[in-house]
Amino acid sequence: MDFLVEVLGDALEALFGFGSELRQVLGLTLVVSLLATVFGVVVGVPLGTWVALRRTRVRTAWLVAVNIGMGVPPVLAGLALLLVLWDTGPLGGLGLLFTPAAMVAAQTMLAIPIAAGVTAGAIKGLPPAASEQLAALALSGWERGRVMLVEVWPGVVAAVAAAFGRVVSEVGAVLVVGGNIVGETRVLTTAIVQETRQANFGDALALGLLLIILAAAVNGFLTWMQLRSGRHE
Amino acid sequence: MNERLDLRFPADGSVLSIDGLELRSGERLVVFGPNGAGKSTLLRLLAGTLAGGPALEAAYLPQRPYLFRGSAGFNMGLGLSAEEAVRSRQLADRLGVGELLIYAASSLSGGEAQRVALARTLARPEPWVLLDEPLSAQDARDRMKVASVLIDGLGGRGAVIVTHDREEAAVLGDRMAVVVNGHLLQEGPVAEVFSLPLSDEVAAAVGIGNVIDGVVIEGEGPLNSLRAGGLTIWGLGDVPAGNPGRAVFGAESVTLFRGSDGAAGSARNRWVGQVTEVRQLGRLVEIVIDAGVRVVALVTPGSQEVLQLQPGAGVTATVKAAAVRVNPT
Repeated sequence: MDFLVEVLGDALEALFGFGSELRQVLGLTLVVSLLATVFGVVVGVPLGTWVALRRTRVRTAWLVAVNIGMGVPPVLAGLALLLVLWDTGPLGGLGLLFTPAAMVAAQTMLAIPIAAGVTAGAIKGLPPAASEQLAALALSGWERGRVMLVEVWPGVVAAVAAAFGRVVSEVGAVLVVGGNIVGETRVLTTAIVQETRQANFGDALALGLLLIILAAAVNGFLTWMQLRSGRHE
Repeated sequence: MNERLDLRFPADGSVLSIDGLELRSGERLVVFGPNGAGKSTLLRLLAGTLAGGPALEAAYLPQRPYLFRGSAGFNMGLGLSAEEAVRSRQLADRLGVGELLIYAASSLSGGEAQRVALARTLARPEPWVLLDEPLSAQDARDRMKVASVLIDGLGGRGAVIVTHDREEAAVLGDRMAVVVNGHLLQEGPVAEVFSLPLSDEVAAAVGIGNVIDGVVIEGEGPLNSLRAGGLTIWGLGDVPAGNPGRAVFGAESVTLFRGSDGAAGSARNRWVGQVTEVRQLGRLVEIVIDAGVRVVALVTPGSQEVLQLQPGAGVTATVKAAAVRVNPT
């Protein structure tokens, strides 16, 4: 018991001490995860819409691919990207390895299937009358997608929330392609791993609390968006 | 441009199997049948929302029109050109939903949503119009108004209208196809199908009909006479005398007179009996008569009042032999 109280005391001390290093870690976490979420949603939501509106076997194949993508372990996605970005790899010349850009790329890979899967699920969850009506309207592919996305707007917000939740909490991918370099590529999750390994439990817990506050803030905003869209139905 | 279409679904025809459904340009064909008969499947094949059919170039109103998130007006304009949108607004005004277009689609009642969707469908430019139960969500008092705007809005285009409602069929149809269990049982002018069902199945499907079993006692040319419960019934048929037969005729074909001395006329069938039941049926009144066998007649509320057709009243029922079909059993 004394041990836990001590750790908690250290954690609060660290939180209120909020130094420049911590600020830097928090800032990078926000930038990397938000950028990855935005890229993931921009690609994933239209992809999910397209997949859900297919009527052939192609759709089944895509759905399977999306579902597999949703379950890929982050560390594996990181490893794949690492191999591509390695000095002697196909894109080694870009020199992106161990930079925030590589971290955004890795997390985007994780965000795309989540955003696509949640969007496709929301569209498939509509009553059959909705897709029958959509087909009856003889709209262009673009218009169909637009009408569908507006229709499942709360589902799209859920896709954003799920994508952000996945990337902000993962540690494997950013660790492998970012390298957890102090002042350069260290984010909250990799910092927690680092502090835990060094038995700085108070600092680790402080970082964890920050991560929770960050996730709660973003999700609170998204929930507000969801409820707001519900009122305008 | 008339069409003669074969419709099968799925490929083995287990849900729907119809050969040579005739669509004539400028004519409203009502596809009539009980729920689950395959009517909506037929329409979806024609609309092309179900793969495997001879999809027509057609505007299509699904059975449950779905309005998407947004205003009613936004929904009505979906898929329409500027010119068509103007036309849809005129139709919406005539359908009494013009004022509602600024409101959220979700705030509309089922009947209002159906009218918005109907305005949109009728405003489309396609040469054919497919309507699935277009009056199903309308109140009894609005139905006739909506029906007349609908007919007007077709502008002489050919239409296929699915319904299981007799009144809707009678009001909206020129011709009528009776579909039961995925099969086309009879096709013809609406009045003919109602008053002269070709089979017991059709008679049962089109509702209040008279189906009377007996024995054929005479055959002369195209006419048969059938003996049933003390009644002699004359009708069209070629069942050899001595065989069991079944007389089938629509309730609309029965004319009623008060008393037992009623009406000389050309009607071959004159039966005297007593009213046993009176039932309101939409805008008409169904009168059940015991004339030795049970005979059902359909009259207007006005006639019922003038003739004082109440249970116990003595009546004479007449039916032209040409309106009766005698089938073998």
